[in-house]
Amino acid sequence: MSTFDLLLQQTINGLSLGAMYALLALGFTLVYGILELINFSHFNVFMVGSFVALWTLQALGISGQSVILTGLPLVGVLLAAFAVTMVFSGLLGVAIERISLRPLRNVKGPAAMITTIGVSYILFNIILLTVGADSKNFPNPLPTARFQIGGAILELREILIWVVSLVLMLGLYLFVQKSRLGKAMRATAQDPEAARMMGVEVDRVIITAFFLGSALAGAGGLIFGLYYNFTSFIIGFTAGLRAFTAAVLGGIGNVPGAMIGGVLIGLIETMGGQFIATAWTDVIIFSILVLVLVFKPTGLFGTLTPTKS
Amino acid sequence: MTQITRRSAGRLIAGAAAITAIGARVSSVHAADKEVTVGINLPFTGADAESATRIKNGAVLAIDDANAKGEVKGYKINIMLLDDGTATAGQYDPAQAATNARKMASDRSVVAAVGPQMSGSGKAMAPILSQADLAIITPSSTNPDITDPKFAAQYKPGGKAIYFRTVTTDAYQGPNMANYFAETLKAKALFVLDDSGAYGVGIADAFQAQAQKKGIKIIGRDRLDPKAADYSTVMTKIKSLNPDSLYYGGVMQAGVKVVKQSYDILPNIIKAGGDGVYAPELLSGAGFPAAEGWYATNASPHMTEDASVENWMKRYNDKFGMSPDDYAITSYDAALVIIDAIKKVAASGKPVTREAVRDAIQNTSLNTLQGQVKFDENGDLVSKVVSIFQVKRDTRYPADDMVHNFRYIGVAPQT
Repeated sequence: MSTFDLLLQQTINGLSLGAMYALLALGFTLVYGILELINFSHFNVFMVGSFVALWTLQALGISGQSVILTGLPLVGVLLAAFAVTMVFSGLLGVAIERISLRPLRNVKGPAAMITTIGVSYILFNIILLTVGADSKNFPNPLPTARFQIGGAILELREILIWVVSLVLMLGLYLFVQKSRLGKAMRATAQDPEAARMMGVEVDRVIITAFFLGSALAGAGGLIFGLYYNFTSFIIGFTAGLRAFTAAVLGGIGNVPGAMIGGVLIGLIETMGGQFIATAWTDVIIFSILVLVLVFKPTGLFGTLTPTKS
Repeated sequence: MTQITRRSAGRLIAGAAAITAIGARVSSVHAADKEVTVGINLPFTGADAESATRIKNGAVLAIDDANAKGEVKGYKINIMLLDDGTATAGQYDPAQAATNARKMASDRSVVAAVGPQMSGSGKAMAPILSQADLAIITPSSTNPDITDPKFAAQYKPGGKAIYFRTVTTDAYQGPNMANYFAETLKAKALFVLDDSGAYGVGIADAFQAQAQKKGIKIIGRDRLDPKAADYSTVMTKIKSLNPDSLYYGGVMQAGVKVVKQSYDILPNIIKAGGDGVYAPELLSGAGFPAAEGWYATNASPHMTEDASVENWMKRYNDKFGMSPDDYAITSYDAALVIIDAIKKVAASGKPVTREAVRDAIQNTSLNTLQGQVKFDENGDLVSKVVSIFQVKRDTRYPADDMVHNFRYIGVAPQT
């Protein structure tokens, strides 16, 4: 492998990781943008999403590694799996907001954030106690097509991850920028009191943010399963923490920032592993985060917002 | 909110009760019998739960037998089952192991214990058990430091040996496999990975040092975060260095992903691990074809295909509905040693205390399934046998059948 091929291969690896981090980072950023709340339950909404995806695929008759689909059946199965997983995860996010966060909305201090950590552990333990601790094999209905680009290999599932993530992120971006509800979201993010006085239904905006963020996390969970062919109750923490870091790096609250932050963290992870050592991955990621925050406290694309009262 | 918390707390309590209930399920009690307790500490939560269960069953079988036959006259042996795996670690958790060690140490009815499965737990437990003079026999943890006199101050502050093994250590397991790499597999360029755990780092170091001595070129070494999902970065890096062989020191949390992802990126090189990958999770978790061709070792003689244990295998299978592996046998042997020690103390008319049982274990000379068990003054097994296996799927048997999908190759060369 030449150095160029190697760089190309690690870029491919990094973009796939980054796409997943970006999908997850969006959920952190959407909720933070509106509530200034770091929602740690997001870690495990992602994990539950991957199990919902697993069960959906199994219900569709795709279990084990031997069922390979092509053409229309593949598209149909994937669409169905994404739809079910995203709707379920979205509703899970809404339920978390409605049951555990809304009653605390006007409570000052860290109560709401601590609650999200609690909810995260509840989800984690529910899956651990009902599904078990061993990692579960995730079906892979994609044909194993590989494309040779120089000395690097690009797999079909990587292309799928990029395309799906890009479509979802573009959809979200357009929704936030163009739709009425998206406009209401941006207004609420800027100033919830003023938005409320102008007739924006803040509750609806908050529910939308939770639904969209959680649905994207669910999509991330499905993609995780298809990419790594396993899922387990424990997958939320490492991925969630890196995605959260991506959101902060990009400027938390900023939608394009989360996407770019995710891709950056993915690339930092693979290049750091290549040129330094995998053992140092976390040190490298968090050193870069600290450096960025020292020089630009709002993250790469964040803007200073007036403090909300 | 409070309701949810209460409900989930209820579930946790129910789970804990279920685990204790297993411990309570012991056969025929004579009303007049005195009771002693043997602890069993293994990681039933997390990535190694399946192999931990097989190990537990070995010890439970021996103790149930002893109780049923009235092996120790006048005594009933209870089991205290402890889980040192935690959800947050996703595998064995040294902090939980230390808590469990304190629990056993503070209960005077506990006279000895079987466990732990993992050396990382062993390192946390040994100092606590040493202070309490409570002997534990590990059927599978192989990191040599714990019983090395060099580290006596750290792991043996109480003075006497309390950490015994019915397996040999990585001082043999790693180097002997490196000999096999050099002499039989003719490996020339090697990459070494470990999983950051006490066992994984130790065996990878021991393997690497001997491989180097044998003239194998070490082209790289890296360390994995067992909780991370993605190892494609390191696999790509390894591929770019063109090795002919990969050695992985570690257990199955990282192991399953190493096997899967190395198959995608490095399908055609020699791959091997220690007893950490001689596990059902390699077969069921990583699956086929990824697991095919992997080499693994065991720090004990290979017994499960030996004619002498045929009957025992059948009894184990009937009782637990799964096939035992070699560490189920070393675990059975560990429990036999403990039962024998209790028996000797009881027969001498002295009270069965943990101090007396420890002394009896130290002086053990007992014929077990794997042959004669004797310990040196550090607690290490006198006999040192490392067995080599290679995964070869036998489709006539279930995919997680340890006996038929791990083909026994032979004893690893000592020099």
